[in-house]
Amino acid sequence: MEEILEKIAHCVEFGKINKISPYPPDMKGMDGADELTKLALDSGVPVQDILSKALISGMQKVGVKFRENKVFVPQVLMSAKAMNTAMVHLKPYFASGTVQHKGTFIIGTVMGDLHDIGKNLVAMMIEGNGWEVIDLGVDVKPEKFIEAASQHPGCTIGLSALLTTTMENMNITVKQLKEKVPASKICIGGAPVNQEFCDKIGADFYSADPQGAIEYLSTLVA
Amino acid sequence: MNPITTFSYNFQDLSLTRENVGNAMGYENENIPEPFPALIDESLSMAEKLCAIEGGFKYFEQVKFDQNQKIVKIDSIPFYVHKIIFNQLRKSENAVLFLCTAGPGISNYSKRQMADGDMITGYILDVIGSLIVESAMDKIQQELETALSCKGLHISNRFSPGYCGWDVAEQHKLFSLLPEKFCGVQLSESALMYPIKSVSGVIGIGTSIKKHNYACGLCDQDFCIYRNRKKQTTIHHS
Repeated sequence: MEEILEKIAHCVEFGKINKISPYPPDMKGMDGADELTKLALDSGVPVQDILSKALISGMQKVGVKFRENKVFVPQVLMSAKAMNTAMVHLKPYFASGTVQHKGTFIIGTVMGDLHDIGKNLVAMMIEGNGWEVIDLGVDVKPEKFIEAASQHPGCTIGLSALLTTTMENMNITVKQLKEKVPASKICIGGAPVNQEFCDKIGADFYSADPQGAIEYLSTLVA
Repeated sequence: MNPITTFSYNFQDLSLTRENVGNAMGYENENIPEPFPALIDESLSMAEKLCAIEGGFKYFEQVKFDQNQKIVKIDSIPFYVHKIIFNQLRKSENAVLFLCTAGPGISNYSKRQMADGDMITGYILDVIGSLIVESAMDKIQQELETALSCKGLHISNRFSPGYCGWDVAEQHKLFSLLPEKFCGVQLSESALMYPIKSVSGVIGIGTSIKKHNYACGLCDQDFCIYRNRKKQTTIHHS
């Protein structure tokens, strides 16, 4: 059992999606995350183990390598694609309650800002770590965050911004969220944002990279 | 010099290579892993069909400075550029306000690819779009530098609202000094440019002004994702 879980984790780490995928070259012709996940399920491997010991484990390795500049955005996207392919097989088990998400993470780029690549990357990596992710998209008004957070009590919220002007909108969004849904923790990220700004606007957490957000979320469910 | 100068370029004029794109994504020249070299090549071919590169600048003789408030006044319009940019521009005798765009096609196609689930192609095209507009602006800046050098004038780096503490809302003032829909670029209420892959800003001109080869060192954004890119001549990103 451990062997197949390690193989799936390896596929996620290196972005091997399925058998016909020619990448990475040293895995050409081999089963990918798609086939191996199905095989694991058919062999009776517990769904929770596939999730935590294979998919989450693989994505965590990618997250650490990304933080250390050993891999870059395209490789993370390949890994996320492999993970998503495997996740398709697990979706029915989430729906039936056999396995549970670690929690709900609501993410969006704040109003006035249309940048979404960083936000999408964080969303995919957090989903790959076992969270239900609700992506509100770009140019998201505070009311939309409040509405989504109100529908998911106990959720954590992620705010993204790439422009200095939208830092002020992030401030406005945090203030309104803290007033309307005080129980929700708020993480912020994006190129112009830093810890000092996070402290200033009263957000709960700042990370310069997706892995930091994942580690913070883990502390919330520990 | 004419007050308004415009340029248009073909994609080939920019000579963008697979290595340029790989570098912009973080990879060193020879170390772009599979499958990205082929995907970059395909995206470069696609970009050639999608881009519509236009740029230009308007020359202003009247530039004044308020040291206390860190204001640069261009044609009597005050720009609160913050101390980093103020210090780089304060020796300017003249200035240009510039605008450059890769056109709407590439960012629209990139967004569509991402929405359809092809995040990787969408991302590569987004990176190429940024490279197109920055490379085109490099050429425009070079043209300006060459034209002024025979008069003994030098130029500064280029600076954009939204960076180094210059509030992006001041885009509205900057656009008010340029012809309407200059190079086909429009500004939203929240000061975002459309097409998305566009840059705007100011370049100082003077006899004792300097351009730095590595401008990121001037900026105070310690954690900026672009900071590790060496020898970059700009302090703005699209």
